[in-house]
Amino acid sequence: MNLRGGWALIQRTWLSWLQHRSFFFLLAFGWMVPPLIYLFVWSTAAGAGTAGGLRRGEFVAYYLVLILVNQLTYSQTNWTVGDTIRHGGMNTLLLRPLSPIFDALASELAGKVVYMAFVLPVTAGLALILRPELQVTLQGGLAFVPTLAMAWALRFFWGYALALLAFWATRADALLAVQDALIFLLAGQVAPIRLLPAPLHQVAVILPFRYMLGFPVEVLTGQLETDGLPTGLALQLGWLLVALVLFSMLWRAGVRRYAAVGG
Amino acid sequence: MLEPQIVVRGLSKTYRVPERNPGVGAALRSLIQRSYRSVEAVRDVSFNVAAGEVVGFIGPNGAGKTTTLKMLSGLLHPTAGEVVVMGEVPWERRPAYLRRISMVLGNKSQMLWDIPPLDSFRLLGEIYSVPPAQFRETLDELVALLELAPLLSKPVRTLSLGERMKCELVAGLLHRPAVLFLDEPTLGLDVSTQGRLRRFLGAYNRRNDVTMILTSHYMADVVALCPRVILIHHGILLYDGELDGLAHTLAPFKLIRVGLSSASQCALDLPGGVELLQRTNGSLALRVARELAPRITAQLLNTLPVVDLSVEDPPIEAVIDQIYQGDGDQEARL
Repeated sequence: MNLRGGWALIQRTWLSWLQHRSFFFLLAFGWMVPPLIYLFVWSTAAGAGTAGGLRRGEFVAYYLVLILVNQLTYSQTNWTVGDTIRHGGMNTLLLRPLSPIFDALASELAGKVVYMAFVLPVTAGLALILRPELQVTLQGGLAFVPTLAMAWALRFFWGYALALLAFWATRADALLAVQDALIFLLAGQVAPIRLLPAPLHQVAVILPFRYMLGFPVEVLTGQLETDGLPTGLALQLGWLLVALVLFSMLWRAGVRRYAAVGG
Repeated sequence: MLEPQIVVRGLSKTYRVPERNPGVGAALRSLIQRSYRSVEAVRDVSFNVAAGEVVGFIGPNGAGKTTTLKMLSGLLHPTAGEVVVMGEVPWERRPAYLRRISMVLGNKSQMLWDIPPLDSFRLLGEIYSVPPAQFRETLDELVALLELAPLLSKPVRTLSLGERMKCELVAGLLHRPAVLFLDEPTLGLDVSTQGRLRRFLGAYNRRNDVTMILTSHYMADVVALCPRVILIHHGILLYDGELDGLAHTLAPFKLIRVGLSSASQCALDLPGGVELLQRTNGSLALRVARELAPRITAQLLNTLPVVDLSVEDPPIEAVIDQIYQGDGDQEARL
């Protein structure tokens, strides 16, 4: 493992990204818009009372945390892996004594810093205006950090594995669009998971998408049922392992195929 | 001869490429059922290269040059045959191997687009774990040889094609590779930049004893840099030897240029085996088989009012062109 090279790559990618702050600020703004819309929809629905058992201020808290978690877990590099493979950029990466996964990780880290520079002040401003109701328990606060880290890892490796299908099919990124749609529906964006109607709720709890986004938000805002945390953690960890196995299998098979058919 | 540094034995590569006819109907059919066709890009190629040698790979587009280079650098797995470079099998892509080679692709960039070259160079130094002192020394040497100092702090996207290519060379040489693969390093560059890069590569090879394999469509690159050429056509190795010998082996003819005194209008009675290439007022250009050249020269001197006569080898470009155009004939002849 070439950690020295990996760290240098992260620093250099960050430098390169800082050249385009405004572009990334606009992207980050685009990603904020859907959760913001649902924030307003649900706070209006709750009005002075409740909707689905949640008060207006609780919806505001839920969606503001979701905006932050969404920025932190969204893996924009997944969209560029396919292009790198299709346009032959993988040749340059494979010639280096450093695994190409470092390039994706470097962009991820560089991206998070740049996006947060935009999203944190905006969310803080919104919090001042919209007055969220957020009571973080000790358990919720402690569990938030690992669930957030695993949500990022799950979303990143799951998406990367899908993107690697570009080794076989030229436009595998269509699957990433499907993944984004499923996250929109089943990961707590359109509504908090517990407000989904019964069959959809069960599906959302079992599938991996909630564990990429909604789960850490529920943990922090205290929306889980009593046994929700251990079950959720087990499912999140399980899906993360599935994603890692899927990624490493597709990576090895993909490079073998690339070497067989040429880039 | 020294122990070869690169050994290639019976190397073959067959691609399976999807195929469909033009048009909407064919496109729809290919959604259901794809048809494939096998393309033999490289067929049973064998050669050795000694340490410090500079070898030119020549051949028309699609001849299999780049495919061979990709197999030597470990990007492609061959269908058959073996390659050993410095004791390593390239496509195992072990970091120890990747640290000792470099491949510079004329149409691909290793530079990060938005930051100055110096930042990319430092990054590559880290990726290849070059010790800092050696890094500075190598960078200084390369920057001096390529006159790159004024460009080091400009973002790469503002550089010209020639300036970028110089940066690519620096990027490829920073870790002091023992073997350098160059795929079309002078692609798209103007004549004087081409010349400068050529002189640099020649000097670099002499100073550091680096083995170089280079593909190029510019014969000037090959003439200037490569005492030895390997000609590949349709994936088959047609010629491996000195550049000078290429014409002897593959284009066994000479060009005879004749200046005539007053005979511009006189009837030409050319001996058999002579091909008239050009006739202008007072001069002839003829192509004859190499072994017939002395006899025909004598005949011309006897029969025509010759004031001037020269016998030349055909220019290397013409030889190459004849081979490229000749398609399958060459294979039959060899």
